[in-house]
Amino acid sequence: MSNNHNPVIKTLNLTKVYDTGFRGEQVSALKNLNLEVYPSEIFGYLGPNGSGKTTTIKLLLGLIFPTSGSIEIMGTKDIYSAYVKKNIGYLPEGSYYPDFLKGEEILRFYGQLYGLTGKELGKRIDEVLELVGMTHARRRLLKGYSKGMRQRIGLAQALISDPQILILDEPTTGLDPIARKEIRDILSHLRDKGKTLLISSHELLEVEMISNRVGILYEGILRVAGTLDELLTSKDRIIEFANAKNGVVQEIENKGGEVVDQVKDRVYLKVKNDEELYKVIELCKNLGLQLIKITPRRETLEELFVNVIDLAKKERSL
Amino acid sequence: MQNLLDTVKGPWFIAVYTWREGLRRKTLVGFLVLSLLVIFGATFMTSFINQATVGDVTTDMDLKLIKDICVTTISIFGILITIFISASVVPTEIENRVIYTVLSKPVRRFQYLFGKFLGVQLIIIMNLCLMGGLFFIALYIKQQILPTLLLWSVFLTYFEFLIVSALTFAIACASSSSVLPTIAGLFIYITGSLTEYLKDVYNRSGQSGEWFDTLIGYIAYILWNILPNLQRFSLKTQIINSQPNDPPTDVLIPQLVIYGLIYAVCGYILAYWIFRKREV
Repeated sequence: MSNNHNPVIKTLNLTKVYDTGFRGEQVSALKNLNLEVYPSEIFGYLGPNGSGKTTTIKLLLGLIFPTSGSIEIMGTKDIYSAYVKKNIGYLPEGSYYPDFLKGEEILRFYGQLYGLTGKELGKRIDEVLELVGMTHARRRLLKGYSKGMRQRIGLAQALISDPQILILDEPTTGLDPIARKEIRDILSHLRDKGKTLLISSHELLEVEMISNRVGILYEGILRVAGTLDELLTSKDRIIEFANAKNGVVQEIENKGGEVVDQVKDRVYLKVKNDEELYKVIELCKNLGLQLIKITPRRETLEELFVNVIDLAKKERSL
Repeated sequence: MQNLLDTVKGPWFIAVYTWREGLRRKTLVGFLVLSLLVIFGATFMTSFINQATVGDVTTDMDLKLIKDICVTTISIFGILITIFISASVVPTEIENRVIYTVLSKPVRRFQYLFGKFLGVQLIIIMNLCLMGGLFFIALYIKQQILPTLLLWSVFLTYFEFLIVSALTFAIACASSSSVLPTIAGLFIYITGSLTEYLKDVYNRSGQSGEWFDTLIGYIAYILWNILPNLQRFSLKTQIINSQPNDPPTDVLIPQLVIYGLIYAVCGYILAYWIFRKREV
């Protein structure tokens, strides 16, 4: 995706080591990270807890400092410059906003920090409230907000300056399915408007639904990165047969076939390669089954995630 | 000029936000309400004593009692509020992660710190105005003379609090909880109030001729020069014993203001030096 564009976020051998004690003990949170996020894409940044996702985000935002390596955002290495900061919107995980403020007051405060004032700020507040569907609650104190509403206001504050890049840390965690769907729709809409989104998340299904590219991080190392089409390939195929009578499933399994499902007279078998495919077809033909269709099976992001982590664990134990 | 305005605007917005947030802190409001009650109560209580006795002596005692209680109240509650708020604004924002959203905006760390520090000063000034104002009214009602000396005292007390606030704030910038900076703030206040004794130690050192005695004297001298001398800001004795509209004596107000500002700037620079490379 978009490889003909220059990346808007680029890290080169980015490494972060934390000192954890008085005895000079150190923990490597991030090891030689080479990450590229391209314009107008949603990049799903995945990994289990403690894998280094939040560390990466904090490094990109200049909240912590790299041990080695470099970061380039929008073509500049000066990530602390007003130019870069004005073009980044950030939603932290489980972000806190003071209860004594109203929704629009929060946005006013953050908008002012971007240098927005007067009518320009007022107009922008109206726009982002409309975008996140919070216009009706703009004059309510935050203490009366539900979790979903707080997350929307969080998203609105990230969008207040109309930034080119959005960095979102667990944007849908803890939300109910409807709120998740709504947030997902907003994020897709933003991507369609040309924004670049880096989303750190545990919600694999959500990420799979909206991301163009994903990266899986484990123990500070980026294990895989690419488009979903590149990553979720599999030679597995599902073959559907009709005319299955009682006992045929048992018979197929006894002869080495892998039945994944049976619905009425239909059986579904999984094969991993061409050799297996021909063998299964021959077997089923001999059993009097009628071939209906052969479908290539796409791996899910969850399967990829588990496989990548398992592989990393195996490599470590070697 | 526009750049300068932009540089100042951010801290100002953060300061106002800090001030508004500070007004919601229960501990802070509790201290303030308690102090106002004590000042109000002192006035009420002494009125009650006045009715039971007669003569100028009692009236004089009555006034001295009011002044003593009120000046002490402003001093104690004022410093508690100062230390509490200075010690907590930055660690609290780190703890509840508000700092992430603020520092990810086009706000430099020195601007953020300046805004927080300014917000703390707004809270301290507001508290002093409320406590001093109530005391001012009480004194005026009692004596029917405008207590201008009290205004000078409140003015100087602010600079005393400014020093403690700046140094506590600097320590808070290195801390992830407000407990340590609060203890440090109390230590600074107590030490700063006893600095005069260090001079005595220096003056009396070296009399025995022993090297240890001389060394202690030099250490005391250095500390006396480095540590803030908070006693210099006190007009308590004069307030209690003089007429309310007497001019302040034995203090050089412009020098004390500069003295306070120097410590405040040093405190802020120290805070920034600590915070500029702090990982949040």
